[in-house]
Amino acid sequence: MSDLQYPLSSGSFFFSRRKRIRIRCKERRPAVPLFMCAVAVLTLLSFWYLDIDWIRLLSRTPDIGLIFWKLGHLSTNELSIVLASLLQTIAIAVLALLYSMLLGICFGMLAARNVLRLPVLSVLTQAFFSFLRAVPTPVWVLLMLVCFGMGPEAGVAGLCVHTTAFFTKAFAQSFESIPEETLEALEAAGASRVSVFFNAVLPASFSQLVAWCGMRLEVNFSECAILGMVGAGGVGYVIATSMQGYAYGTAGVAILLVFLTAYACERLFVMIKRLFRA
Amino acid sequence: MAAVLSFKRVCKRYPNGVCALNDVSFEVLSGEFVSVIGPSGSGKSTLLRAANALIPISSGSVYAGGERISDLRGSRLRSARRGIGMIFQNYNLVYQLSVLQNTLHGRLGYMGALSALLGLYSESDKIAALELLDELGLADFAYSRASDLSGGQKQRVGIARAVMQEPRLLLCDEPIASLDPSSSKTIMELLRSLAKKRGIACIVNLHQLDAARRYSDRIIGLSHGRIVFDGTPQMLDAAATERIYGTACENLMTGGSDVPENSATLP
Amino acid sequence: MSRKIPLLSPDLRRLYALFLGAVLLLFVIATALTGFTPALFFGQSGEIWKFLSEDFLPPRLPESGRIQVIAEAFLTTLAMAMASTTAAALLAFVMALFGSERISPYPKAARFVRGFATFLRNIPTLVWAFILFSSLGIGTGVGFTALLITSFAFMTRAFIETMEDVSSDCVESLLAAGASFPERVVHAVLPAGLSGFISWYLYCIEVNIRASTIVGMVGGGGIGLVLFSYIKTFHYGIACSIILMVAAMVIIVDQISGRIRKEILK
Repeated sequence: MSDLQYPLSSGSFFFSRRKRIRIRCKERRPAVPLFMCAVAVLTLLSFWYLDIDWIRLLSRTPDIGLIFWKLGHLSTNELSIVLASLLQTIAIAVLALLYSMLLGICFGMLAARNVLRLPVLSVLTQAFFSFLRAVPTPVWVLLMLVCFGMGPEAGVAGLCVHTTAFFTKAFAQSFESIPEETLEALEAAGASRVSVFFNAVLPASFSQLVAWCGMRLEVNFSECAILGMVGAGGVGYVIATSMQGYAYGTAGVAILLVFLTAYACERLFVMIKRLFRA
Repeated sequence: MAAVLSFKRVCKRYPNGVCALNDVSFEVLSGEFVSVIGPSGSGKSTLLRAANALIPISSGSVYAGGERISDLRGSRLRSARRGIGMIFQNYNLVYQLSVLQNTLHGRLGYMGALSALLGLYSESDKIAALELLDELGLADFAYSRASDLSGGQKQRVGIARAVMQEPRLLLCDEPIASLDPSSSKTIMELLRSLAKKRGIACIVNLHQLDAARRYSDRIIGLSHGRIVFDGTPQMLDAAATERIYGTACENLMTGGSDVPENSATLP
Repeated sequence: MSRKIPLLSPDLRRLYALFLGAVLLLFVIATALTGFTPALFFGQSGEIWKFLSEDFLPPRLPESGRIQVIAEAFLTTLAMAMASTTAAALLAFVMALFGSERISPYPKAARFVRGFATFLRNIPTLVWAFILFSSLGIGTGVGFTALLITSFAFMTRAFIETMEDVSSDCVESLLAAGASFPERVVHAVLPAGLSGFISWYLYCIEVNIRASTIVGMVGGGGIGLVLFSYIKTFHYGIACSIILMVAAMVIIVDQISGRIRKEILK
């Protein structure tokens, strides 16, 4: 074997300094190991900075079991209140989703580069909405609470801000993924930009929009359960107040219902996704 | 000649009720090149995966290398598996790694736990791998990422990995189904010459009747999980083909003429 | 719309009508339950405008003594997100190995692993925070744990999907070569799925930066707590500048992770 032009015997290429044959790819990309090192360093720094009292935390860990034990003693005394608040939470999530969908389509049209072809407008819209998106939902809800007072209205309004911002970006992406040729064909037929949007872009991306909505409904529901905790009504409020008032049985029922609803949402979404794929 | 693999009354029934193998018995002798043909869903893939116990069988027994492989567990199963190489339709390489690393994966079954974990292959293994890659015409690609190769080249890496296991038997699951005709020819010829040179027995699942006739010593026909034909390529006549595929020869695309006159095996 | 000749087949039309009807019905019920209408904005536009122009804007700076506190709070929030995501990613990787039927050495147990992750995931972060606060007390450690639990559950699911998409083929080939479970993990699952795992990790960092602000609000410490206390005490101008800084922090982190993702997936 060794007598042919095979580079093995000729040496230096295969044998590194330590006389060991290299096995990895020739061109290695330093990005991944570099990233891993950076993550490791940052994480260690974070742990050092947080300075968590591990002993206290670990020694109290059994208490989590205790809380679950207490939550497990479901109490149905307040069931009607819990159910009503759960219904309200779902209503907030759905309503915010519907309003945001309409707003998202409008703003998505402005933000997508291929619809109106006004680059300045799309950059401005995207910048504005990425600011709105960057601020966590509860902050918006807190501000809406100041404007509207306590109650579900503030929840809907606050949730709308974040959901609209999310949809604007997501929808704009979907719109931009429509092939340019399709738009050209309609424009060549003399259609205006707006009518191209409603006759070609919107129908073509409709299934994607529905998928985004399904995904967002899941998120909205769990965010909504959170919002109650800062005072926007719904089941979160019930959980927060009953936990603070040591009414663990009621809180347990509420958490169980939240869990079941979220799980049902997830299953539904998986089913819809499978339908779309089929 | 000793049998390297024998199936004795093997049945495989999937949980959904599909019977993929039904009372299958055969033996493969050392160095023999066997093609398995049959329509999709006839149990070809299941047969191959039962041979190295990737799929547990429902009843019967599979013997490989003197051991009843269907009973083995854990490390004994792993050491039985390393004596049986496998080649896949979709190559199943780790595309992020180099060609050489992929080839050396064939040695993992022979290595100590720690050195295998860390990928510390011995120098002699590396030299053997490089020589094998050279034999397969891949010497220049040893340090390329596996994802950069063409389909035919990827399959050659798949073959190299299997041969690195120093197997007595190679299982090839439709090795040329995703390849163009010219790469297919290269792969089949390489497979046959490598196997003959090293005395490795081969079981190849094929959809291409002409390839089966040309390259194999023996052909097994499966239909609905049963063996309906077992004989030399010369014996595979129109009636046998019809038995396997459930339809007359005229309805099949066999590639080349249907008469078994061109079925002479390669020199 | 053409009046006489329908554009759609009758079946499809019925489906669309049904869909639209269901949406409208949902809309009406939800409006009745929450009492929210867009008219509310117009009805109270005077007050909203007053709040925005007088209290909220322009953003005001806090007293100089508090600036250091705010900076430390930002660092805490970042550290909490970073530490919890990395810890969760490591745990989730191990968990995901056992959660995929095609990779796990104990395929029968995979269902239970996935069920456990589903259970953890479907309880929102803040509910976890409340459960943990009432058992462990408040503080950054507990905020860290709450984030850890939800991102662990999320990444377990994401990693399982990545593994099944990317590496089940090469896992099978190593299985056929007689490799043991740890060898299959190191030589197939890890290299094949690495860029996928990193991508999910980055996504989780983005989510956790926001979530750690929220968890902070209810007692996890960090910038969320500071912001909450300013809003509670009607210092809206200062709150506004903190909100702007939070937004800047989130946008910067998103930009960085987007850059890294592009570099790594290249």
